Amino acid sequence: MRVRSRRKSIAFFVTLGACLVALAIALNVGWIILNWREVALLVFGIIFFVVIIFGLVINTTFLIREIRRNEQHDAFINAVTHELKTPIASIRLYLETLKTRNVDEDQRRQFYDNMLADSDRLLKTVEQVLRAGRARHRQRRIANTVIDLSDTVRECLELARITHGLDETSLSLVEAPSARGAKVSGDIDELRAVFSNLLDNAVKYSDDHVNVSVELAAIDAKRVAVRVADQGIGIPNAQLKRIFKRFYRVPGMFMARVKGTGLGLFIVRSIVEKHGGRVFAESPGLGKGSTFTIQLPRV
Amino acid sequence: MSAVLIVEDEKHLADGLRFNLEAEGFSVDIAIDAESAEDLLLKKRKPYDVVVLDVMLPGKNGFALASSLRKAEQFVPILMLTARGEAQDVLRGFEAGADDYLPKPFELSVLIARLNALLRRREWLRSTRPVGTANEESATAPETPPKLIEFDGKTIDFDALELRSGNHIVRLTVMEAELLRYLIKHDGRIVSRRSILEDVWGLREDTDTRAIDNFIVRLRKYIEDEPSQPKHLTTVRGVGYKFISKARAKTKPSGKVDM
Repeated sequence: MRVRSRRKSIAFFVTLGACLVALAIALNVGWIILNWREVALLVFGIIFFVVIIFGLVINTTFLIREIRRNEQHDAFINAVTHELKTPIASIRLYLETLKTRNVDEDQRRQFYDNMLADSDRLLKTVEQVLRAGRARHRQRRIANTVIDLSDTVRECLELARITHGLDETSLSLVEAPSARGAKVSGDIDELRAVFSNLLDNAVKYSDDHVNVSVELAAIDAKRVAVRVADQGIGIPNAQLKRIFKRFYRVPGMFMARVKGTGLGLFIVRSIVEKHGGRVFAESPGLGKGSTFTIQLPRV
Repeated sequence: MSAVLIVEDEKHLADGLRFNLEAEGFSVDIAIDAESAEDLLLKKRKPYDVVVLDVMLPGKNGFALASSLRKAEQFVPILMLTARGEAQDVLRGFEAGADDYLPKPFELSVLIARLNALLRRREWLRSTRPVGTANEESATAPETPPKLIEFDGKTIDFDALELRSGNHIVRLTVMEAELLRYLIKHDGRIVSRRSILEDVWGLREDTDTRAIDNFIVRLRKYIEDEPSQPKHLTTVRGVGYKFISKARAKTKPSGKVDM
């Protein structure tokens, strides 16, 4: 009996203990269940907050990028419209003049020369735009012929001298013996466009005093480099990579003085990359000139 | 001989224009950028009769040049040449203070006609010209427009290109004066934007008529006490504008106006 009563009393305390434990657990679990919502809200809140902030940042970044792209596109359309319409306006003006007025022989000759120069300019713009259009198709195959790099560079140099009215001192060529007879594989017209674009830029962005030197040198047995260095307005450090982007032009007063479409260097980069090479720009800073280097694989 | 300043950086275009304008009897100067144009027009104050201004200039562009000229109270008539003849560009040009525009490529005869029209307006508006041109004027213009108009305490002096309101004097550009004159001529009647473009600017092509609105806004600033609640120059929705003056227009014979 005692034992029984003891058991009873124990049972009571055990039951009480068990009940208390159960209550504690129930309370704990209940507390957790009850507070789980808040914790969950807190956790979800933090996650949502992070997601929203992330989304906002991405959105703003894209928006700014889009605005910039629109601005660049606008500037490009402006520049191309100007580059197309100005020579047409000029040719038209001269034709109307020749048709309606008495023009003496010397003047007439001058007018013809001006019209020829304008039609060349027009053709150049059209070709540049078409080339940029082609450059976007990365998979497009290029004609593969073996090209003498030295001859091609010389040819482009000669053409640039004639177009810009320069002599051999202001537009010079240095050919390292290692690069003599260097041959590359690719499309000669496209490569000509590359060198002409770089030479035109070098002249265009040199103020009145043009001093451009072109250097042809072998880097190693497999690669050859063409360097075009000018003493012109230079490029800020932060812009050295961006200038190769389509439509991109370095903002600021210097560039506003020189007209351009923002296609030239984009074309250069696309063509060079299609030929398995690379191109990069270097400049000690604004007003200190710049150097463009093209590296191409030799064959 | 009328003097023309061509502000154009494209050498071929500038040379071609010079040849033709000289053949038409103009004396021609060329400025290759905004800075040299400002030097001639503002510093040296050379008396040009009309300026042909290209928009796409290296450095400071044509819009900026036009507004800086107007700010500096240089009210020589400006004909703007724009490669992009879109409404937006035309509007910007007028806003900057141009009097007329022509998109590139242009017809030579149209350019010359436009220049002559600007010069003629200037002659009409200013009796300070030599007597020879005044005679020509009466031959080409059948009715002599009034030189001095008063309304609501304001006086518009078409000779001096001035609008006087009490002690306050506002200088008007040729086209502002011309538009004001047109509106006053049609006092109390509704005039459409298109008829304004056709009669005042002589534009027949499909120009955006909002170009007018900029001028109206400017005129309201000059003639209204409360430009946001115009009393004289009201908008007729969907049609155009109406000018209502309460006072009469005084007409004085040309050439005898005291300034």
